[in-house]
Amino acid sequence: MNSLRRSLRGESWYLLFLLPAVLLFLLAVVIPLATGLRYSFSNWDGVSPKIHYIGWDNYVKAFRDSDLWRALWNTFKYALILTLLVNVLSMALALLLDNYLKFRNVFRTIFFLPSVISIVLSGFVWGYNYSQGFPQLFSRFGIDMTSPLGNPDYAMMGLIIVALWQGVGSPMIIYIAGLQGIPGELVESAKIDGAGTWKAFRHITFPLLAPAVTINLLLVLTGALKVFDLVYVTTKGGPAFATDVMSTYIYRTSFDNFKAGYGMTLSVIFFLVLVVVTVVQVGIFRRREVDMG
Amino acid sequence: MRPVRILIFVIVSLLAIAFVFPLYVAVLMAFKSAKQTFDSFYAWPSSLDFANFVHAWETSEYPKAIMNSLIVTVLSVALIVIASALAGYSIARRNKPFYNVVFLLFLSGMMVPFQVTMLPLYKLGKSLHLVNSHWGIALIYGGFGVQMGVLFFSGFVRGISREIEEAARIDGCSTPGIFFRIVLPLLKPVTATVLVLNVLYIWNDFLLPLLYLQDKQFRTIPLQQYFFFGQYSSDLNLAFAYAVMGMVPIVAFFLFMQRFIIKGIAAGAIKG
Repeated sequence: MNSLRRSLRGESWYLLFLLPAVLLFLLAVVIPLATGLRYSFSNWDGVSPKIHYIGWDNYVKAFRDSDLWRALWNTFKYALILTLLVNVLSMALALLLDNYLKFRNVFRTIFFLPSVISIVLSGFVWGYNYSQGFPQLFSRFGIDMTSPLGNPDYAMMGLIIVALWQGVGSPMIIYIAGLQGIPGELVESAKIDGAGTWKAFRHITFPLLAPAVTINLLLVLTGALKVFDLVYVTTKGGPAFATDVMSTYIYRTSFDNFKAGYGMTLSVIFFLVLVVVTVVQVGIFRRREVDMG
Repeated sequence: MRPVRILIFVIVSLLAIAFVFPLYVAVLMAFKSAKQTFDSFYAWPSSLDFANFVHAWETSEYPKAIMNSLIVTVLSVALIVIASALAGYSIARRNKPFYNVVFLLFLSGMMVPFQVTMLPLYKLGKSLHLVNSHWGIALIYGGFGVQMGVLFFSGFVRGISREIEEAARIDGCSTPGIFFRIVLPLLKPVTATVLVLNVLYIWNDFLLPLLYLQDKQFRTIPLQQYFFFGQYSSDLNLAFAYAVMGMVPIVAFFLFMQRFIIKGIAAGAIKG
């Protein structure tokens, strides 16, 4: 009895240490998630004090909602293209700026710089460059250009370029850190054995960089799937819904159209999609890394 | 080999110029008047004219927005660091099922996209009077930040040998005494990582302030900018002066803390 009390007293400090983080987490994540799940079964408008529950109606409606499918399609198009471009560019830069080029520290600073600027700012600066800056620049060479953000066919690509500009910084740093963990002798001995630059990269560097690739693909893809700020401050999902992604669709439904209940249903569906994507991704990478032993 | 190297150098340089170009245009615009911009778009300003900046300073509430951003960032990051250091230590040192379950809950919380909790969070914030309050938004950032923070701190503590702590305990040191006198001073590197990552995120965040700090006197820099751009969309030179003013603090932070930031991101990736 005595020893139990003493061990409890010993334990209680550790439990107390846990408490602030758990309380913050409950407040910011767990409680809102639980209430969000409940609201997804209601037709609440987001303002009225009374909430009326309607069972699975919202979910049935969502499956027939063509706006939802369009938003999902746009989200995945944006996220997949961006993930690919960011990783190719940041890996190329990392390979060159690890120790190959001169002034590599200056270059690293420059390529990282856009990542520290808020998305509101970069959206504004790019919106202007797209509509006035670049057209004026290109007109000197006799090329006509209008802002891609105003054209449904190019708006998505216009956004992806901005996101690419802002997004290569951190992955590049992670790739450089990964490269610095690879012993230089490995690549050198491969070259002595007659492997060219490409072969050495393909068979030595790239496989050893696999953990960094895993992390970067995961980070960029999950980040890109959740994109909101950039779309909201530049196109608001337009023109003609060409850049309407899940988060802007949810925001519009919940806040502008006062369909909070349905907005929550969309959010829950989106959450489930994200969980599936993450699980699949982690599964693929785990298998691949085991394969390489 | 040399010509190849030079060619690559040129290509990377061109890319670097392309990267800086949008920012260069922003600075250029900020120093020119509307007439100068109209006359020649890419010409240098005829003189170093700070009129736009003075005007932007006077029409915006820039000092207030900077203060708001500072208060929110400092409060939130302090909460995140303290709460996650304590919890991370606890989880790392008690290898019991209960603590592992709590740890897993923190991890899975990271998968929840903000959109799912956005509206309930707003409603909850309203009823608890957290909306339009520095403390209120800091508590929410705290809840977001502890998830990754606990991961970092517990990982780091697991790498520290327990021997010193055990020796201290035999000498009669209590658990809090051990944590604050022995463990805490050892946590500097991981604290730097957590600090830097959260400062960059919170300082630049737009969505949560959009929900939580709509009242004019509480707006942070990105939110203030969003409204300023909307209001002065016709006076681009003014808007750009304001944009440059908004960039200066965070770019300065980045340039001074660059080594920390880069180390922080690399360490975070390897741990994750």
